[in-house]
Amino acid sequence: MDEQNVLLQAKDLSKVYGTVIRTKVLHELNFSISEGEFTSIIGYSGSGKSTLLNVLGALDQPTSGEIIFNGIEFGQMNEDELAIFRNENLGFIFQFHHLLPEFTALENVLIPTWIKAGKTHNKRVERAKELLDLVGLSKFMNNKATNLSGGQQQRVAIARALINEPAILLGDEPTGNLDSESTEQVYRLFREINKEFGTTLIIVTHNDHIAAKTDRVIELTDGRISRDYSNKDLSDDAAFEQVAPSYCKYCGRAHNNELHLL
Amino acid sequence: MLFELKVALRFLKEGRGQTVFILLGIAVGVAVQVFLNTLITGLQEDLVNQTVGNSSHIWIEGKSDFDTETNLLEWDNIIEIIDNREDIAAISPLVEGNGFIVTNAEAVPIQLKGIELDQADAIYNIISRLDVRLTSLSGNQVLIGQGIAEEYGISTEDVIRLSLPNGIVQNYAVAGIFDLGNSVSNNTWVMMDIKQAQKILGLGNKISKIEMQINEIFDAEIIAEELDGRFINVRVDNWIQSNSSLLSALRSQSSSSIMIQVFVLLAITLGIASVLAVSVVQKSKQLGILKAMGTKNKHASRIFLLQGALLGLLGALLGAGFGMLLIYGFLYGTSIGTGVPLFPLSIEYTSILVIGGIAVVSSTIAAAIPARKTARLNAVEVIRNG
Repeated sequence: MDEQNVLLQAKDLSKVYGTVIRTKVLHELNFSISEGEFTSIIGYSGSGKSTLLNVLGALDQPTSGEIIFNGIEFGQMNEDELAIFRNENLGFIFQFHHLLPEFTALENVLIPTWIKAGKTHNKRVERAKELLDLVGLSKFMNNKATNLSGGQQQRVAIARALINEPAILLGDEPTGNLDSESTEQVYRLFREINKEFGTTLIIVTHNDHIAAKTDRVIELTDGRISRDYSNKDLSDDAAFEQVAPSYCKYCGRAHNNELHLL
Repeated sequence: MLFELKVALRFLKEGRGQTVFILLGIAVGVAVQVFLNTLITGLQEDLVNQTVGNSSHIWIEGKSDFDTETNLLEWDNIIEIIDNREDIAAISPLVEGNGFIVTNAEAVPIQLKGIELDQADAIYNIISRLDVRLTSLSGNQVLIGQGIAEEYGISTEDVIRLSLPNGIVQNYAVAGIFDLGNSVSNNTWVMMDIKQAQKILGLGNKISKIEMQINEIFDAEIIAEELDGRFINVRVDNWIQSNSSLLSALRSQSSSSIMIQVFVLLAITLGIASVLAVSVVQKSKQLGILKAMGTKNKHASRIFLLQGALLGLLGALLGAGFGMLLIYGFLYGTSIGTGVPLFPLSIEYTSILVIGGIAVVSSTIAAAIPARKTARLNAVEVIRNG
């Protein structure tokens, strides 16, 4: 891996929950993510995927170890510093969309800019409209979030994650709640964003088809990296083969988007 | 616009039912406070006004350690000195004595009041309450009360015969009949020129007392004390001393009114606190996502503080409006039939402002608990649990 392109680096990253009964969720993880890489994190439920994503996303702090983003170690920043860091450098997409139902699609996209500026000046409206156009929702920009379908809400969430031009887009099961058509749409959007803006993407997923289409797969087992491989230069089938056999033990080749493991 | 304000406003707007209920709650509370406050203040002012409005607030009598003489000798000097005080509104010398109006059938006991009409008018408001136009009294003229006039069939320009304990009996022309609005004065007072009264009562240049009205009636005790220290051989009395039971009644009325207002305020504050506490739970998903997107804890809390302040402000405005409606309703309701309200109420904008201000402050304080809860809310928990 080219050292100069490293965007995010984890060094001996550990996370322990609880003080009396201590559960170690992440065990001294070491890896780095390059600029422009599209990575998926897979693994069984409870393997520590979401915890890892939250720590990488500065939503949660590691118990020990370092996370270095562009040369800045943010693992030990205080809450306010982390908040600013998240706002300026990271975009989040969650499984349950998490739009603010009180606001319209356009306003939801603008919220990160409001948080950044501390007030609601609308200089970024044009950009927000462009992003809604990118996700194919220009027509619905004045709809309240509650008047959008699940897939539409997730696409608004993607536009929102992009508004502050983040270096990294983090998705926690971004397709977990969507039908196969919407899942495919969201994947294509991710790929487009990755190509067009050079945005680095890290997604946690249960969907092997999506994982197979990403550039790199990090597989977690009980809080340790059990496999870490590239799908680049492989055909779609070969990539799926690489992801699925070791992972989809119970459903075999037949498993599809609908069927999430465990 | 401040980002937190926009979110606060939107939360309030979208939670319409809840917002309307809590607003009405605050408004009713503030309205009760405004109405109660105005009612009590109006009632007390009316009571005090009835008690001391047209009577002397402070009076100076003579006092000697050696005899029971209470008449004042060098009263012109005293008047000259107190006349310079800014806080004294009216000064009137008074000569008092007892006597009888002698009719054909009986002798009617009366109180003789020797006055300078223009000066006494400043305290008792006599001239405008006479049945005739009159500006001064000459030596052989008297003014009698309406009660006496009606009882004994005396009218203006009649001649009455006055008899005094010292044996003097003299005829006077009734120059006018007054109605001072209270039965004691109307039934017993007979006013004449002060010099005439001094003469027939044999007082020489002495008078019975100097009566005063002051600008701030509740300063009576302080001013009386100052005057008492200023002169020797005088006794200074004031209305507060002679109406102590009325004043203690007013004080307990005031404190019970304050008690009611404090409990109303407490109810409002608890209401807002509980509504906002529920709201934090309802909005925890939104708050989690706002935090994930980079909202600092203190800014997230500010959303709730602002909601509290906005609810307080709107509620106070509504409440002030309702309160004034209640006041006008009271004035209108009690004037049906009689044409005049039970007692006059004046809307005091400063106290409405104070009540409203307290409502805003306590609403904001009520929001502090949910705001703290918001600051502690963990974005990860919320996101994880969908």
